[in-house]
Amino acid sequence: MNIRATVLGAALLICGASLADETCNSPYMTGLIKGQEEFLHVLTLGIDGVGDGSDKLVTIDVNPKSASYGKPVHSVSVGGRGETHHMGFTDDRKHLWAGSLDSNQIYVFDVGTDPSKPRLVKTITDLGARTGYLGPHTFYALPGRMLIGNISNLAAKDGVTGMALYNNQGNFVAKFPMPVGSLGGGVGDGYGYDLAINPARNAILTSSFTGWNNYMRDLGEVVGDPAAMKKFGNTMVMWDLKAMQPRRVFEVPGAPLEIRWSLREGDNWAITATALTSKLWLIRQDKAGEWQAKEVATIGDPAKIPLPVDISISADAKGLWVNTFMDGTTRYFDLSDPERPVQTYAKQTGKQVNMVSQSWDGKRVYITSSLLAKWDKKGADDEQFLRAFNWDGKELKLAFETDFRAAKLGRPHHMKFTARPAPAASTAAR
Amino acid sequence: MHLRALLLAAAAGVAVSNAHGAADPGKPQEPRMEFAPPAAGSYELQRIQPAPDATLLNADARRQRLSDLTHGKITLLTFFYTYCVDPWGCPYAYWTLSGLRDRLIADPQLARGVRFVSVSFDPTNDTPEALRRYGARFMDDPRLEWQFLTAPSVDHLLPLLDGFGQDVRVERNADGKPTRTLNHMLKMFLIDPHGMIREIYSLAYLQQPVMLNDMRTLALENRSTAARSR
Repeated sequence: MNIRATVLGAALLICGASLADETCNSPYMTGLIKGQEEFLHVLTLGIDGVGDGSDKLVTIDVNPKSASYGKPVHSVSVGGRGETHHMGFTDDRKHLWAGSLDSNQIYVFDVGTDPSKPRLVKTITDLGARTGYLGPHTFYALPGRMLIGNISNLAAKDGVTGMALYNNQGNFVAKFPMPVGSLGGGVGDGYGYDLAINPARNAILTSSFTGWNNYMRDLGEVVGDPAAMKKFGNTMVMWDLKAMQPRRVFEVPGAPLEIRWSLREGDNWAITATALTSKLWLIRQDKAGEWQAKEVATIGDPAKIPLPVDISISADAKGLWVNTFMDGTTRYFDLSDPERPVQTYAKQTGKQVNMVSQSWDGKRVYITSSLLAKWDKKGADDEQFLRAFNWDGKELKLAFETDFRAAKLGRPHHMKFTARPAPAASTAAR
Repeated sequence: MHLRALLLAAAAGVAVSNAHGAADPGKPQEPRMEFAPPAAGSYELQRIQPAPDATLLNADARRQRLSDLTHGKITLLTFFYTYCVDPWGCPYAYWTLSGLRDRLIADPQLARGVRFVSVSFDPTNDTPEALRRYGARFMDDPRLEWQFLTAPSVDHLLPLLDGFGQDVRVERNADGKPTRTLNHMLKMFLIDPHGMIREIYSLAYLQQPVMLNDMRTLALENRSTAARSR
């Protein structure tokens, strides 16, 4: 095989390394999947009396060519029920870290050795002791380490919190409190939730939610308690990534949750949805290079509190899926002009819907049902499912669904994709 | 098949390693950098983990404790193999290190306190002699210390890769047999003079002005620590 063929072969495998597959991941990892994902890993909250009642990582075969397509092929329990919620890959994609919002434990799963059979290889228990924080939520890969966005604290169990940094061996490195007080034109409330990094801009953007006192309480009670409703975050913060210092606080009312950067080269913006006020907000640099936040669209009827929960941006940043929990609706916004998103599609995909993840090519959309154990609906509306759809640009068509309650697996929440390594693309030339 | 066996099998497929250094895949693109980096010394780099140790071989075939090369100076360490042609792997590392080397040579005071260390992924083919052929023009240049190392065996290498968290995967062909390509996520490890890893750079973070500022930040910190201890 000559040098040229080798270079081309290697390029086919690796040259997309500055992009990513799931558009909600840290987009700077290795082992990317731009084609068909093989496995969908679903983090699942245990339900008392259902199966072993434990939180678990469930693996679904999502390769349409497989005999077990659409079926759970593996699950691994964490050994208890602790509101295990979100997860993120390490930079080399060999491990998935998952956090429990109640028990404050962090579980590390090996998904690199055999993605069809993840193994729990480590449990990190010192987050609270090291930081005082509670509720590890977002796991965002940095080279050789994991930055963790938390949502509460052990002392008051309200929303004041910070980020924690661990190395990939699972050892604590540092903590970074969310800013409180005046900073860069806004007033920090100290609350935290999601974080997302843009290395090209040396930027971390964080959002804010609410503390353990609210997220571990029945949603109806929270909504009926005016004092509790005041304990939601109303800010986002732009950080200097290299210095790990907050630089600017934006006032974004109504609990801004998931953050997605546009991955398109040259773009300088991120987008988020506010849970309580039902708006899309754009965070973008102005002509002077200063970061600004502005409301750019309304999601459904805010008076009915549809509760936007998760968003998924397309790889080309021209479209955004938005799930609203209360009305069980999946909406698509045209983001061609991020200053003016336009809703172009909506479909009720369940009685309650929470997470939404799309494949890199945008052709497949996966939806799960559970928000939080105490916030999910009651009775017949408490559906617990994974639904996979094919998207042709016009209509979401159901590909398969898995009833997690019937399968005794629990409440499905966050999702991640994996695939086995592809063989060399240019083998024939060798 | 275990990584050890795969590395050995992949290495066995290489008849002759390139004697002329890294293949030229064309001019690589620098990672996007659309910001002014914070000034050196205005921030602190995190203490990520101690640099692992191992006994390796240098280009003169002498035993070399790696810890002797991760202490005393600011060290930028990377893993490579001499016949790697993945344009976003070793040739890109080579291009980045060459660019940084030029910037350091322009600042002799800083350069005196910095060393580069390149450790091979392939103990079988990257013999000390192959390392010398590959890196002679750099290792013999007194303006910046640049050490090229290889492991005595795959068994010596694997714990070191694991300790650094450096992944490597032997590419397989459609028949499932190992090829000569060692897929890996390019990482560079910035180590302070006390042997602590203070920054890790992967592709999106290989921004040379930032890397240079990080070295300056560690040099300032080291100077300040030395002054306090006097």
